[in-house]
Amino acid sequence: MSTTIAISGKGGVGKSTIAALIIRWLNDRGHRSVLAVDADANVNLNELLGVNAGQAIGNIREEMKEKVGDIPHGMTKQQFLQYKIHQGLVETPNFDLVTMGRPEGPGCYCYANNLLRDILKALSDNYEYVVIDNEAGMEHLSRRTAQHIDYLLIISDPTVRGVQTAGKISRLLQELDTRVGQKRLIVNQANGELKPSVDAQITKEGLQLLTALEEDEEVRSNDADGNPTYHIPATSALYKSIDVMMTKLFANLVGA
Amino acid sequence: MSKLIATRAIRGAHKLVARAEKALTEALEKKGPDARVEFPNTGYYLPISHGILGLNIETVGGLRDLLLEAQRLLPPIPVEKLWVPYLGHTLDAGMATLFADEIIEAIKYTEDPLPYFPQPNPENGKLWLGAANDIIMRERGIEFVDGTAPGFAAIVGNCPTNEIAVQIARELQEKNLYVFMSASTDGFSMAEQLQEEGVQLGWDTRLVPFGDDVAATVHALGFATRAALSFGGAKPGDYQRVLQYNKSRIFAFVLAFGPVDDEKHAQAAGAINFGFPTIADTDIGQILPSGICTYEHVVSPVEHDKIVSKAIEVRGLKIAISKVPIPVPFGPAFQGERVRKEEMYVELAGTSNPGFEFTTSRELHEVEDGKITVVGPDIDDVQEGASIPLAFWVEVAGRKMQRDFEPILERQIHDFMNCAHGIFHMGQRDINWVRISKEAKQAGFKFSHFGSVIHAKYHSEYGTIFDKVQVTIITDREEVLKRIEGVREVYRERDERMAGLTDESVETYYSCLLCQSFAPNHVCIITPERSGLCGAYNWLDGKAAHEIKPAGANQPVPKGRLIDTVKGQWVGVNEYVFKNSHKTLEAFNCYSIMDFPMTSCGCFECISCVLPMCNGIMTVYREYLDMTPSGMKFSTLAGTVGGGLQTPGFIGHSKQYVGSRKFVSAEGGIRRLVWMHKSLKEELAEVINARAAEHGIENFVDMIADETVANTEEEVLAYISSVNHPVLSMPALF
Repeated sequence: MSTTIAISGKGGVGKSTIAALIIRWLNDRGHRSVLAVDADANVNLNELLGVNAGQAIGNIREEMKEKVGDIPHGMTKQQFLQYKIHQGLVETPNFDLVTMGRPEGPGCYCYANNLLRDILKALSDNYEYVVIDNEAGMEHLSRRTAQHIDYLLIISDPTVRGVQTAGKISRLLQELDTRVGQKRLIVNQANGELKPSVDAQITKEGLQLLTALEEDEEVRSNDADGNPTYHIPATSALYKSIDVMMTKLFANLVGA
Repeated sequence: MSKLIATRAIRGAHKLVARAEKALTEALEKKGPDARVEFPNTGYYLPISHGILGLNIETVGGLRDLLLEAQRLLPPIPVEKLWVPYLGHTLDAGMATLFADEIIEAIKYTEDPLPYFPQPNPENGKLWLGAANDIIMRERGIEFVDGTAPGFAAIVGNCPTNEIAVQIARELQEKNLYVFMSASTDGFSMAEQLQEEGVQLGWDTRLVPFGDDVAATVHALGFATRAALSFGGAKPGDYQRVLQYNKSRIFAFVLAFGPVDDEKHAQAAGAINFGFPTIADTDIGQILPSGICTYEHVVSPVEHDKIVSKAIEVRGLKIAISKVPIPVPFGPAFQGERVRKEEMYVELAGTSNPGFEFTTSRELHEVEDGKITVVGPDIDDVQEGASIPLAFWVEVAGRKMQRDFEPILERQIHDFMNCAHGIFHMGQRDINWVRISKEAKQAGFKFSHFGSVIHAKYHSEYGTIFDKVQVTIITDREEVLKRIEGVREVYRERDERMAGLTDESVETYYSCLLCQSFAPNHVCIITPERSGLCGAYNWLDGKAAHEIKPAGANQPVPKGRLIDTVKGQWVGVNEYVFKNSHKTLEAFNCYSIMDFPMTSCGCFECISCVLPMCNGIMTVYREYLDMTPSGMKFSTLAGTVGGGLQTPGFIGHSKQYVGSRKFVSAEGGIRRLVWMHKSLKEELAEVINARAAEHGIENFVDMIADETVANTEEEVLAYISSVNHPVLSMPALF
């Protein structure tokens, strides 16, 4: 059984950066059995991790819908999809990456998603850790492609509106079937103390704050140069904060 | 040739009956008619006479009845010019032989000292055990019933060398067979050969020395008879049941080593009565046509290294391999396991190297069961992290094997391989992809173990449809490339054959009665163009399921005389449906929704029903939960059509059936389709358009209404009118 960490939040709050650094942190701790799931069509987690993107599942799914005739005779769609997904997986010594890709076009995807759910479940079971970078709407969570989350980290900017959105995401998840272990808020790009209004909003939304992360000039300039966030020096302020944060989060987790 | 065998068997029977008569006369003189005869500690009297004739012989005098029966059965010895023997006479002679044997053996038990050592295992040089007592019988007999021991080999004579004797004994033991030894050749027997070699003999090791006399062979058949009486429920004297039980349940055969004299021929004839064939290492001729035995009756000469497998084949014995002999754990729990690159030792085929998986059928003599060959480097010859080609070239042979089963067997490789811990398998045919973990390599996994998995699992899962399998694992690039084109050609042929399979091209359909447990009167008829309504079974699956489990839920249904081509009605199918619906369904039209349509259990993927105003039909898939234009949701429709009721205007069917040329073809087929919910329509769009195009209609899918444009029958009618749906100009449905 793997430990699943899902990271969510509206666009631009730095959630992919945090996802990439959590993966790095796990790797630095000697965990190499990590599956990274890029479930945000707008950001490319692969770039932040410094690897090529494999064939996205969205494309595979479309291909399957369009070219039913190409599936070898006697092979079930389930087997075919599974085969393609395993093939689309990007493998590195430290982690493997699966890219969900563009959202669905019009039409019914129940069948494909139904298959996908089982395949991803089976795939995830092969890893010690699964780190999912979700888009805000949590399409993949709502489609129940992820069925079990140990840690849901909702990322917000240090604004009342940002925290309101985080609250919405949190409530959305309650309506879904997905089982969530611990749910925590991370306020990113915070400069100094959080404003009392933001603090108040956090309490109002019923969210539990894990940490507030400072902006890191080094990381920003690294980003601006198009270098993979994954490779920032371990001495950088943000990475140190992530280390503290994850240590705190995993405090109860045996073996982490 | 069979004349020679028959003549010798009959001659041997005469000799043995004469010998029995002599022994009996002497015993009557010496011991008197009231002296007791018995095989110690058995409740079955003398088992052959008890089981076959219903005699309860307890005294020497009682043996006279048995002798009379033997003499009565003895046929005359064929004269030189007689050319039409012999099986009937041969069988009678065989039975007379067994009666005579039993007399001779019974009298031995009146002797003092007893010439046998009546214990489970030989001791202190006392080799011959004689008849088994009831404790042994119950303890061992049950193994024949539960399949732990599939049967026995009754061996007469001796092998050319002690080494061969040991080798054959080991081979039989490995197959869990009992080895019953009797009769010597030139005063020397196989049991003595084994004894000389220090092999442990006795019931415990399943190597049982009965006696060196040829008459002691009767103890093997006596054992078989008792099995029928105690486990088969046969009544003493019900010889038909006793023999039938043995033929169908006890997989035994006779192995004759060395020169086969008349008396041994006679024993073979006795065994044939039980359905036990004889295989000899010397040339004694053959009785090939089947009849009493499942296949051949006498086969010779057979070389020693092939004789066990030949015997198994001739007897129709299926060897179950319970454990897959590989150095890594094996079980369904390991399915879905991915071997990650970090954990991987070697990658085979996949995207960067050629490969394929191919299962094909061969003649029996072309396949050596269990032979596994690796062509190209083995795992120890490749570097860690290497990526190399891989082909599985699987050859099966069997008396019941058919070409149609090849792809079914081939497809199983995926599931089987994934059960091995540390083996990752994806794809099939020429898109196979395999990884082996470092851990598996460490544990000693070799490429040949792929073959072990296939061999073991094919036997355990599909043993009823084939007898032998050999596997070639090819990792040599040249060799893979050399074979791949031919293999692809076969894939193409198979696809064409499947696509070309029509209801007209076969004489037999298959039933599915799996659901009768909850819809007792429902009968599914599966044809090449109409799969089971659950979508799980197509015609080939039904056919394969029947071959694998002949008494199972899928039975062949001969079409019989054609009654109606258009509606799809046949005499044979009607009869089958009538009988198996417990006389509730008198007729059945395969292709009609209006007139005696096929019933449904409740497992249908889709329901189609008539929309009367539209003169057409609508189709809904079971996962569509909203209201349909019929005014009923799927659940309500299901109640109308399910439970084995014949409801004109309603049918349950598979998704696949929509794309069949036989889809409600009696009413005009696909052109009747006026409404389908969007998701199903999109999934089936391609095939629907293709079928409609055959009627000269382009882009037919666009003419079918869905929930985005029509949710009531009126709205459907409005929509189809607006697109000029072909149904508008078709004859009225009713």
